[in-house]
Amino acid sequence: MSDDDALAGDMQRLLRALTAVPPVADQATVERLLDGRLNPADAPPGYAGLARLLAAATAPAAREELAGEQLVLAEFAAVVQSHPPTPVPRRATVLTKLASVKAAAAVLAALLSIGGVAAAATGLLPGQAEQAADQAASTTGAGVAGHDVGEAAVAGLDGAAKAGLCQAWQAGQGADSGRRAESPAFRALAVAAGGADSVAAYCQDAAAGGAAATGPDAMAAARAGLCRAWQAGQGADNGRRAESVAFQALAAAAGGADKIADFCQTTTAGSAGTHEQGPSASSPSVSPPSTTVSPPSSGPPASTGPPASTGPGQGQGSPPTTSG
Amino acid sequence: MIGPLFPGLLAAAQGGDEQAFAVLWRDLQPAVLRYLRVAAPAAAEDLAADTWVSVIRGLARFNGDEQNFRAWVFTAARHRAIDWRRQAARQPVQPLPLALVVQQAAPDDPAAAVLEAQSTRAALALIAQLPRDQAEVVALRVLGGLGVAEVAQITGKRPGAVRVLAHRGLRRLAKRLEAAGVAERGVTR
Repeated sequence: MSDDDALAGDMQRLLRALTAVPPVADQATVERLLDGRLNPADAPPGYAGLARLLAAATAPAAREELAGEQLVLAEFAAVVQSHPPTPVPRRATVLTKLASVKAAAAVLAALLSIGGVAAAATGLLPGQAEQAADQAASTTGAGVAGHDVGEAAVAGLDGAAKAGLCQAWQAGQGADSGRRAESPAFRALAVAAGGADSVAAYCQDAAAGGAAATGPDAMAAARAGLCRAWQAGQGADNGRRAESVAFQALAAAAGGADKIADFCQTTTAGSAGTHEQGPSASSPSVSPPSTTVSPPSSGPPASTGPPASTGPGQGQGSPPTTSG
Repeated sequence: MIGPLFPGLLAAAQGGDEQAFAVLWRDLQPAVLRYLRVAAPAAAEDLAADTWVSVIRGLARFNGDEQNFRAWVFTAARHRAIDWRRQAARQPVQPLPLALVVQQAAPDDPAAAVLEAQSTRAALALIAQLPRDQAEVVALRVLGGLGVAEVAQITGKRPGAVRVLAHRGLRRLAKRLEAAGVAERGVTR
């Protein structure tokens, strides 16, 4: 049997394999294809073309697909004008009202105190800063904005989160851009900017609009928000929380998971709300004060006062892990 | 997917913040439009706009996380597509949406176009050629980024049926593409 014959035989088998029904991929492969988690290069025989098709179908947005934005936003504005929003089920107890006022005050205080917090912000490593910036929106944003807060506070936090992201983005420029570009926070930033290549201009606008002034304070707000969420969740599914990116960031900022309590006590100490803190913050295992029990996504951040109220010079507990 | 920022953005949008809503829209609109190119190709753009109008009107009452939000938006899109197909079926002259789309996207065989250019439009046209049930499930799973349970809820099918339809759809597509691939590479002799 010559080499040619052998080759022809191989070719025949290959052809049969290609033209016949593709081999039955195992369930896991199909699920990975459906989830878009299968690189075309890794697709099993018979599925490479399919993997490419699915990749093409889920390719990044083309400009023409976003062409209708102005029309949709005009519709949004019209609806908002004709039906002033009455967000989420209102639980307008005295407590939540109080919390709303506090939250607004927190934003205001954050806007006013820049100096002391810049140090706190630089104390966070770029990666942590980015995660913390993430959290500025998800904890403070969700916890506060979802609950009957004045529109000013919503807008302020939104701006702070944006400025925080921009600041983290600018701080990290030139350093491992690839990794940053893949993080959810920066993808969100890219989406907000209308494209990854528009982030610089977008952040410039944010700075020009005065939002940059809140940049460093977004970190403080993020820390306070993280601490609040951590305190609120104490005793409740600790395992899950410990694994979340947010709490890893908090642990990193605190210098260790076992130091979070002290760290958060320092972060929130001196605020108007500290009478509720009591001794509970000294140990991670102690249950939180009653007013803070509600989880971050459903309860008002009633436990803490203005996150930046420790003010310049008091050091927000001084950057704990400046060495890293 | 927006991820950790989603709850804050949603809350802000529900409070009337246009920029926050714009972020939600930019994130999801391409997927909605692509789903509709599969489900109702000739009217996809209009139906996507209609979908967002209904989302905007219901936004203040929406309650849930990002996956819930996606499922909610795609439910609205699907209703638009079903209404449109019903109307189109009543019209005396049947439009030929698929042929049009295929022509626009890829003058030749869409399967070959997918392999060559990785064109999104051609890929969607190919998915749209599947039997409707399969096309819908594949589109919701792949384009919508929705899980089996969510697709089952949206389409009113059992999760097992959704799985079977998705697998059949993918196998059919794979077969089609492999055949095109063989022809394209000139392996046949």
